Amino acid sequence: MYNTEVRGPLILGNKSLSQITADITSPLYARPKFWWIVGLGISSIMMLLGFWSIYVTISQGIGTWGVNNTVGWGWAIINFVWWIGIGHAGTAFSIFLLILRQEWRSSINRAAEAMTVVAVGCAAIFPALHMGRIWNAFFILPYPNTRGPLWVNYNSPLFWDFIAITAYLLISASFWYLGMVPDFATIRDNAKSKIKKAAYGFFAMGWRGSVGEWKRYEGLSYILGGIAAVLVVSVHSIVSTDFAVSVEPGWHTTIFPPYFVVGAIFSGFAMVMTLMIILRKIYKFEEYVTDAHLDKVAKILVFVSLIMGTAYLTEIFTAWYSGNEYEIFTFFHNRITGEFTKQFWAMFIFNAIVPQLMWFKKIRSNLVVVFIISILINIGMWFERFNIVVTSLSKDYLPSAWATYSPTFVEVAMYLGTLGIFIFGVLLFFKYIPMIAISEVKAVNKHQRKPKQNAPTSDEGKS
Amino acid sequence: MEPQYTIGVFKEEEAMLSAFRKMKEQEIEIEDVFTPYPIHEVLENHGRKSRITVVGWFYGFFASLGVLAFLIYTAVIDWPLNYGGKPSNAFPSFLVITIILTIFSITILSLATFSWRANLWPSLEKPIYHEEATDDKFVILIHREKSDAGKAESLMKECGAIEVIEK
Repeated sequence: MYNTEVRGPLILGNKSLSQITADITSPLYARPKFWWIVGLGISSIMMLLGFWSIYVTISQGIGTWGVNNTVGWGWAIINFVWWIGIGHAGTAFSIFLLILRQEWRSSINRAAEAMTVVAVGCAAIFPALHMGRIWNAFFILPYPNTRGPLWVNYNSPLFWDFIAITAYLLISASFWYLGMVPDFATIRDNAKSKIKKAAYGFFAMGWRGSVGEWKRYEGLSYILGGIAAVLVVSVHSIVSTDFAVSVEPGWHTTIFPPYFVVGAIFSGFAMVMTLMIILRKIYKFEEYVTDAHLDKVAKILVFVSLIMGTAYLTEIFTAWYSGNEYEIFTFFHNRITGEFTKQFWAMFIFNAIVPQLMWFKKIRSNLVVVFIISILINIGMWFERFNIVVTSLSKDYLPSAWATYSPTFVEVAMYLGTLGIFIFGVLLFFKYIPMIAISEVKAVNKHQRKPKQNAPTSDEGKS
Repeated sequence: MEPQYTIGVFKEEEAMLSAFRKMKEQEIEIEDVFTPYPIHEVLENHGRKSRITVVGWFYGFFASLGVLAFLIYTAVIDWPLNYGGKPSNAFPSFLVITIILTIFSITILSLATFSWRANLWPSLEKPIYHEEATDDKFVILIHREKSDAGKAESLMKECGAIEVIEK
């Protein structure tokens, strides 16, 4: 259990229950700000660019991309894995911390889950288009068809991936929605405008906070939490088997599943950090998402960064120790030195070295620096996926088949398009959904008020 | 129309809990309690049971058997295909899909069960006894026919209810 007397309160300012409701729901009632509309405009333009590239890809084919016979997977798969990684934040946050009963999660989990849903949606676009003829995409479903019936190959990691990503998207969306139901009811009962009352009332599904509802709600959150924890681990393990099952130097290793899962949690937490620093600043949620919350996320990042560094070194060591010339070539002459040196060292420095700065409390509590580090981690994680996808494929066994790869504008535009979708989705989330789980924060707040009146420690805020 | 319910509204959780305890002691039947966040003492002692976790386990059990049976039927019995000479009953690799689809089935089925048992459905018009019960009030609902409303009312007032409404 969280001991408030030792660690300080989780929510500052001695809030009353109605104050919490008012604070968290106020952005929903306020008129949209100028920056919000500008953000929506910019992200819409990016989305249009993305839709254009999707149109080009569908109407003309994968030939519009820079991929070739040797490097068959380019930016599309890099970005797919990158987005899925970011998408692991919400579930890692809300589910691991839920079953570990970490109460500080409640100020952050809603935003993290929102991020998950949008990010996984963005990720799903890439493999769907990479399949080529998207109008035949339904062939991947095992249904009784007129071609035999010919069933799909259940031994293929690509099929596992399809199942896992689809299930992950639906499950994280339902988990997110379930958490919002009590909050929608709060808005339904609080809102002044009839339209808001009707809209939120519809989504609140007649929630009233009765005994029967709360009891089943809690039971259900633990079921979903418990099983989705398995899902988080398995989804990214499955993504890693897309690589690890093929006999390619640099891919064919048993370290891949844990390495990918940890990498996903790493990039996810970094994105949570980025988003929460922005969110608390804009909406003045410093009393809910306190410096102590961000400090905890920073500590997790430091620890996970150590695991990342260990994984990188393990890979390199194994390549050397195995004595396999292809492995040695890939790691020592195509990554550490050679054509892709820059990308390798960007990955290594941003993911394994820069986050180590956060061992120092001074740096951890300086949110500008933490913000920059969290962005660098996201860039570093992108380069990690670049390293895995491109360096292994570009030079494998036969030098005559070697090729290099650079993305075309269509691929870049598609990436920008998904960034647009992400920003657009997050902005809509800011405006229409309570950004912090109101009912959970109320429960946490009551918990800490009980033992004794706590002195607010808001003088620590330096941001 | 005769009022059907007596509704006690409390501002403090502690006050509501003391009224709740006293009513339990004097065996006044409490129809329902509405709170802005889950209060475990009420959830445990109100007497309503939830078996959703048990049901969830059975969903998982039958879903995993079902998925595995489907995989084996399609890949081994109905149309066995030769993938590079590997056995068509590649059982260990079927486990991956079985796990994922089991998790998926548990989620969807227990959500549906939750929505059915807790009677939550979009746009369902359920009576809202007190609008602020989702904000900062704690509300105890007494059915007038089932229990002694007069006694309940005085008890609630004694424990610090800010108002007692008849509806």
